Amino acid sequence: MTISSPRGFDRRSFLRSSAFAALGASAAVPLLGACAPQSSSKNASGGKSDPIKVGVISPLSGAWTVYGKAHIAGFKLAVDEINAAGGTLGRKWEIVQADSQTQPQVVTEQANRLIREENVAFLAGTFSSAERNAAGPVVTAADKLLLYPTFYEGQSQKYYPGVCNPNIFMFGPEPSEQVWPHMDYIVKKHGGKFFMVGSDYVWPRETNRLTKQKLTELGGKVVGEVYIPFNTPQYGSVLSQIKKSGADVIFLSLTGSDTVNFRRQLAAAGMKKDFIVWTVDDEEAATSGIGPEATAGDYVSFDYFWSIDTPNNAAFRKKVRAASGNVLMDTVGVAMYNAAHMAAKAIELAGDVSTDGIREKLGGMTFDKAPQGSITMRAEDHQAVLPSYLVKVRPNWTGTDDMFEVVHKVASVTPSAAACTDLPLKAK
Amino acid sequence: MTQVISVALDAISTSLVLALVAMGLAVVFGLVRVINMGHGAMLALGAYITWTLAQHGLPFFVSVIVSALLVGVIGLLFEVVLIRHFYDKQFETLLITWAFYLVATQLIKVFWGTDLHSVANPIRGTFTIGGAVIGRYVAVVSLVSLLLFASAGWVMYRTSVGIRVRAMIQNREMAMMLGVRASAMYRAIFALGAMLAGLAGGLISPMFSVEPDMGTLWLVRSFFVVTVGGLGSLVGGTLIGSALMGGMTTLVSLVAQQVFAQTVVFALAVIALRFRPAGILGKKAA
Amino acid sequence: MMVDHSGGTRIESVRRRPAAAAVRRWASGENIAASAVFVALFYVPYLFAGYPVFVLPQYMLFGVLAMSLCLLWGLGGMVSFGQAAFFIVGSYSMGIAVRDIAGSLGPWAGIGMGVAIAAAAAGAVGYFLFSARVRDSYFVLVTLAISTIAQVIANSASGLTGGFNGMFVPRVTLDLPGLALSLESDLGAYYVIFLLTLLTYLGLRALQRSAFGKVLVSIRENEERTESLGYNTALRKTLAFAIAGGVAALAGAFYATDAGFVSPDLGGVLFSTNVVVWVAIGGRQYLLGAIVGAIGISALSNQLNAWIPTYWQLLLGLLFFVVIAFFRRGLVGTILAIRLPMRKAQ
Repeated sequence: MTISSPRGFDRRSFLRSSAFAALGASAAVPLLGACAPQSSSKNASGGKSDPIKVGVISPLSGAWTVYGKAHIAGFKLAVDEINAAGGTLGRKWEIVQADSQTQPQVVTEQANRLIREENVAFLAGTFSSAERNAAGPVVTAADKLLLYPTFYEGQSQKYYPGVCNPNIFMFGPEPSEQVWPHMDYIVKKHGGKFFMVGSDYVWPRETNRLTKQKLTELGGKVVGEVYIPFNTPQYGSVLSQIKKSGADVIFLSLTGSDTVNFRRQLAAAGMKKDFIVWTVDDEEAATSGIGPEATAGDYVSFDYFWSIDTPNNAAFRKKVRAASGNVLMDTVGVAMYNAAHMAAKAIELAGDVSTDGIREKLGGMTFDKAPQGSITMRAEDHQAVLPSYLVKVRPNWTGTDDMFEVVHKVASVTPSAAACTDLPLKAK
Repeated sequence: MTQVISVALDAISTSLVLALVAMGLAVVFGLVRVINMGHGAMLALGAYITWTLAQHGLPFFVSVIVSALLVGVIGLLFEVVLIRHFYDKQFETLLITWAFYLVATQLIKVFWGTDLHSVANPIRGTFTIGGAVIGRYVAVVSLVSLLLFASAGWVMYRTSVGIRVRAMIQNREMAMMLGVRASAMYRAIFALGAMLAGLAGGLISPMFSVEPDMGTLWLVRSFFVVTVGGLGSLVGGTLIGSALMGGMTTLVSLVAQQVFAQTVVFALAVIALRFRPAGILGKKAA
Repeated sequence: MMVDHSGGTRIESVRRRPAAAAVRRWASGENIAASAVFVALFYVPYLFAGYPVFVLPQYMLFGVLAMSLCLLWGLGGMVSFGQAAFFIVGSYSMGIAVRDIAGSLGPWAGIGMGVAIAAAAAGAVGYFLFSARVRDSYFVLVTLAISTIAQVIANSASGLTGGFNGMFVPRVTLDLPGLALSLESDLGAYYVIFLLTLLTYLGLRALQRSAFGKVLVSIRENEERTESLGYNTALRKTLAFAIAGGVAALAGAFYATDAGFVSPDLGGVLFSTNVVVWVAIGGRQYLLGAIVGAIGISALSNQLNAWIPTYWQLLLGLLFFVVIAFFRRGLVGTILAIRLPMRKAQ
């Protein structure tokens, strides 16, 4: 289309070759001289009166968005309380927020941004096991702490540095805390034939493995075990399998939208009257998404529920209502809340804001003001010792206030020891 | 025997629900050749609007119809403002509709928040057919799906509108010369596709999770339903496609793990696509 | 009749003058811009320390991944929503090789295995489809299936991939005779990946200008005519798909060791769609557009994530709308198009 004069052509080709020559020449410099700059690591703890910056990574978009609101709200509430009380060591806290997009590769990016750009003192958050695992190598390399709030599969050395990591603290329950304490109750009441339906990944598989182990001890057995790939909309075939299995209890560890879809279809198929449902995933947010009809009479177990009746929780509920209106607080939000308060106490005790100081003081710390009751961070494997509640969904509930009725509780469950090779977890 | 009936009912209802969800896409993709990546967002909009109306006391089925109309209007506006400029550029429409998905999903979050919503099941209880049990609402939705396809077939093959639409699919220039107003027809078809997506979104809302990203579950499956069955063959193609994608998954997962069932069905769909060169030649008309 | 690639002007010039001259003239503006981009990337570590040096290599690898799509789409007219699947094949190969093969052979085996498997898989799937003339929207669908299946399998085959919980990959050193390219420090990783990006860019540019590249363009513009000229178009498209698969896997292998963590999301439809968005916004006619799109959008996402974590994706979606509706050549394509009248005036 363009008719180029010979002159124009020459000029362009000259520019082209000279630009590449410049590029080539400059490329040679650092490779030979190795004199390029290095990052100067600023002092993360900052000055005496600067705010303490804390990085929070929450799932604000993507598949787990529904859990994101309580996740960040719980942490914010605690930070507001800490700041209202004058901060820690006289310094206010400042939250630096990031969205994980529910994608582990974004967590890698954002965890690095928070640590390197924002110079946060430590990280809190990430939601799924995959997100936590993505943050694992980052906090290890930078020697920062990650306070992880979610119920998860427990620690085993195979998944280091995502777990068994001296730089990570677990504030959520693992299967021996979430499931085991209530198995006797369920089996005695409803029978020991379990049909297990879970999402196809590590947390459900580990949960089911441990549940099966305990179930065998109690004389029950697993009559079916199905794993569903993420984002499966239709469950007709699974429902047929359950129908003919002769199960007493459907033990659910589906996650995300899958659990909602499964339970609504289970109800629509008219199967709820024939089977007891016990889910270890559907806290307040998910249950409210499934609706009263499809959840009535089902069991859920966690370390915390909005409806548990303790003085701590009554005070906590008042504060949540005042601070963030109608947020559906759940186990994850409460774990974030506890994590902030316990970290603040650890900083006070240590007298400075440092990874070693917080780790040292956080290990073994007991927090009596936790909404679910007294909790302790076990020093040995950084696993929280928590209460455990089994609730039954009330029929025709209208909101989180009347959603659950506690039917069985254990005030403090000692989790089974983590399967890590180097216990206790301590700084390398 | 009960087993067989039960499996058959599962496979059929699964397929019909899938066909219902894919129908809006089939209309837009099959008739005006727009790969509507925004289909999922339109489903979600249908579900959310249904939820809002039902919250305000409207009867469920009225809510569904109103939300279908509203989503149709959104589709119409989208067509008038953007899509109509890009009909002959398939990849551009693909990208623009994806942008629509991104923006609409975010706007849903702004307006409705990120909490899950639940729409109460309007028809509870079950039917028993030959000893096998099926939920009443699932059965009703399956029937609605069948009815929609039957009426689509009637419109396409028994009315003058259908003749014009078919003429346009087969040879757009010729149809225009014969007096078919292509731009108006394209607009109507795109809006109809959006409306059907809204309708499907509303109808499935009592069975599925209502959340901003709910459409992503369906998008890829719906595409396969539409193409495997055959573009342009609105009724038979979509039904065959959904029988393959939905029914096959149900059948295979009787004997194998879910992962295997879903993977095999996708692989089968790819193989089916390969052996349908006729559909590819048919594309030339656009 | 066919899909327009906003390359109308070029079809004209291909007809009027010798193809080689036409392609070269078209490319010269890009070369200057490319030099500027690479020089800028080269000097980033001199100007910024810390985070940019850590994160830019990942974005550069996204750029390499985007170039693999650009080769298919810009050159060959095939839109693939499956490049992430090949990317993750490279990532897992690297992770598995480094885990299971000791010594300096591990990383090389990982790269080689990843590229070979991805290229072979792409070649097999490609030939299966192209030989039956599957193309355009049908091809798009198949590639959607590829990434869907890749993600499902990666999630499910947890023995091999670590499943949903992901796989950790350490930073490696690539041993060459007399030279060790270490990715262990951020700075080392930066320059090794910079070099990889540059070499991939130059390699693909050479491919673009080669006889093979021209046949691809001709297939894009009119496959029947190209075939009637005696070219086996299915074979050439297969080859392009295999090369693109290999390049995507190469990026994936380096990404694994650089980021340290791989999870199935990297192989899925969503990530694949990101790649399409990068290339569309950057400008699918230019390999440089792919790089600029990938780095630019990733950096912008990162910044927006920092400023407005809750609604940043809305802005991104709107930007995408504007670019697709009003700047259909993409950013780089639009900028390079502005230069044309100026040159005419000379």
